[in-house]
Amino acid sequence: MPTEATSTPLPPAAANAHRVTLRFEDGVEKEIEAGADEFVLDAALRQGVPLVYQCRSGSCSTCLGQMVSGTLEMVRDRALSLIASEIAEGKRLLCSSHALAPSVVRLHYPSSLIYAEERRNFEARVAGVEWPVPSVAKLAIALERRDGVSFHAGQYVRIRVPGTEEWRSYSMCSTPRDLPKMEFLVRIIPGGVMSEYLRTAREGERLEVEGPLGAFILHPGKGLHVFVAGGTGLAPILAMIDEIRRASGPKPKMLLSFGCASDKTFFYRDEIELRQWWVPQLSARLSADRVEDQASGLIQGTPVDALGAEAINDPEASAYLCGPPPMIEGARRRLAELGMSPERIYAERFVAS
Amino acid sequence: MAGSERSSSAISASRQYAPYVEAEWGFKNTWYPALFSHELTENGVKGVTMAGHDIVLRRSRGKAYALRDRCAHRGVKMSLRPMCLTAETLSCWYHGFTYGLDDGVLKTIVASPDDPLIGKVRIRTYPVMERAGIIFVFVGDEDFAPLPALEADMPIRITDDANAVAHILDENVYVRGIHRTGNSNWRLAVENGFDPGHLLIHWDNQIVAATDRKLGLGVEPIGEGAIKIIDEPDGPKGIMNMYNTRAYKFIMENKAVNMRARGKNSYYARTSMVLPGILLVEHWPIPGWAQYEWYVPTDDKHHEYWEILVGRCRNEDERREADYLYDNFLEPLGLRDFNDNDLFAREAMQNFYERCDGWNRESLCAFDAATITWRKVAARFNRGIQESPESHNGR
Repeated sequence: MPTEATSTPLPPAAANAHRVTLRFEDGVEKEIEAGADEFVLDAALRQGVPLVYQCRSGSCSTCLGQMVSGTLEMVRDRALSLIASEIAEGKRLLCSSHALAPSVVRLHYPSSLIYAEERRNFEARVAGVEWPVPSVAKLAIALERRDGVSFHAGQYVRIRVPGTEEWRSYSMCSTPRDLPKMEFLVRIIPGGVMSEYLRTAREGERLEVEGPLGAFILHPGKGLHVFVAGGTGLAPILAMIDEIRRASGPKPKMLLSFGCASDKTFFYRDEIELRQWWVPQLSARLSADRVEDQASGLIQGTPVDALGAEAINDPEASAYLCGPPPMIEGARRRLAELGMSPERIYAERFVAS
Repeated sequence: MAGSERSSSAISASRQYAPYVEAEWGFKNTWYPALFSHELTENGVKGVTMAGHDIVLRRSRGKAYALRDRCAHRGVKMSLRPMCLTAETLSCWYHGFTYGLDDGVLKTIVASPDDPLIGKVRIRTYPVMERAGIIFVFVGDEDFAPLPALEADMPIRITDDANAVAHILDENVYVRGIHRTGNSNWRLAVENGFDPGHLLIHWDNQIVAATDRKLGLGVEPIGEGAIKIIDEPDGPKGIMNMYNTRAYKFIMENKAVNMRARGKNSYYARTSMVLPGILLVEHWPIPGWAQYEWYVPTDDKHHEYWEILVGRCRNEDERREADYLYDNFLEPLGLRDFNDNDLFAREAMQNFYERCDGWNRESLCAFDAATITWRKVAARFNRGIQESPESHNGR
């Protein structure tokens, strides 16, 4: 599930500050003062501009910004996930950049993502638990009141495990249209607090939910949409596919590459096949790292392997990746080799907890 | 809890055709009948609501036009008090906002001829096609392209029958019918239309007795090929109940309740349903004729029920005979008496489906295979699901 660091103490105001203008996708601008000795992301958070970010260490690329003018310099003592040509184009990771002059930065998401739908806590009840396979549970909850609550397909919420003080993050596999119902895919981990809870969960039990969170959302575009998902990383991808399915207008071509650890634990084949039936623009490649039964028809290998070697010639193509970090890194490399522009690759990393 | 919940999504069959269940307001980007041609006289103005779209129709110099029935100014329906000041425009009765019939552009404001809004504001227009005495309007996204042919949103042309019924778009056909409001969701009406098990509500109807027709208490699919998928390239998509084959068994009696269907004349009345929900019943109400039905969604709780009869007719003599038959027999006993029972059944279903999650709680049986097949076909081949007007701001 997505990592986050919302409670990290904010650094104090800095000296030698420069004005940095943050320009969101919807044209909204926010101005902050960023000192030469603090990172732009930290400065923004300190001044109440809640930019999206995940790792804060230069590796996840969530806090990517495009320098329009000015000078933002990235630190050199970190392994950064930007390649040299991207840096030359003015791409910067805000978690690892200092402002050396007044600057303007363009962000790849709308301000509405962080302002209009501020995260908040709300009450929900368990509406059902299903077990597609023993290692994956589908949890359905129903919000007690839906007024004002919405989210973007691909986002996640935090759920407090009933009877504990533990919070866990899960991406919705349902869409905003399904509200007040929300559904999640939970990877079952022996001894995990949510996993143990789900075994005895009862319909109607109260849950506390916080959200919505995350910047893993669809970006408008008519080009090919490549989706790569591993395990329960399928959840936000399914939400995105359903969002496209329900949206007005012509649908883009979509390629879903979905893989599980083994053919024995492969799940949701029927859900994917149904969507292929409903949406002729959707094709799917289904894989498992270990295939014991050849009759399963699954491709042996990772969902990255299953992408194949065919070049992606569509300059408007974009990709959405969700799964464990090695899958994401592998998919990024592979898609870049196949010709996809790195800035059109969006990812959400899942880590088990 | 797993496995115990009847409406659980993994158990309910409804998940297989989820887009159909989502289509409360109907399918969009499709041709729907709006009015009979004779209902829109020269310079006439009428308002209709289809799949939540309020549409105003006007006929000028013989041609029918359709525009959004909401003045850009204060949102009133222009059809409430029709005002036509020129042959090329439609005016709002309230402040005189005057729109071009063919492009919806504001041409003038009666009370403000130099207003800067003129030429800049517009209301959307809808494509119109007038065939077989019916005005069809293409309802859906304004930018949908390419526009499908009307034939794609029509029942198929019958080719496997030596005595094939006429197609509504053929030359030399007789087309007459009625339309009226049905108080149910459009899907309940569609499913009632071709339901092989629903003959029970018709077994003792006047027209069945009058024609001594062997209709049965129901028909049950018993073999492969009972339900044929209609999937014409760029053409109609839907299903056909192959009542003319041995794959369907006609139930003539049920000894458990000592009930027996009567009738000696066993001419089959094959049914098919194509998107967006158009029924064709061959050789009904009498052999050689065909009944067409549309169930145009008005909103999520009402539909406009169109019942059209199509027969062959080559000259005025035949037309006179057909009129006599239609006025004194086919409409009163067929479209009215017989189909009144269908309206009754749909309206009776509405409560359960609206208030009790009927789509997940129904208990279907053997003869409902056609219904499920239809739902799956509709889930795949529709051109889009109409959102409620609230959720798309009345766009």
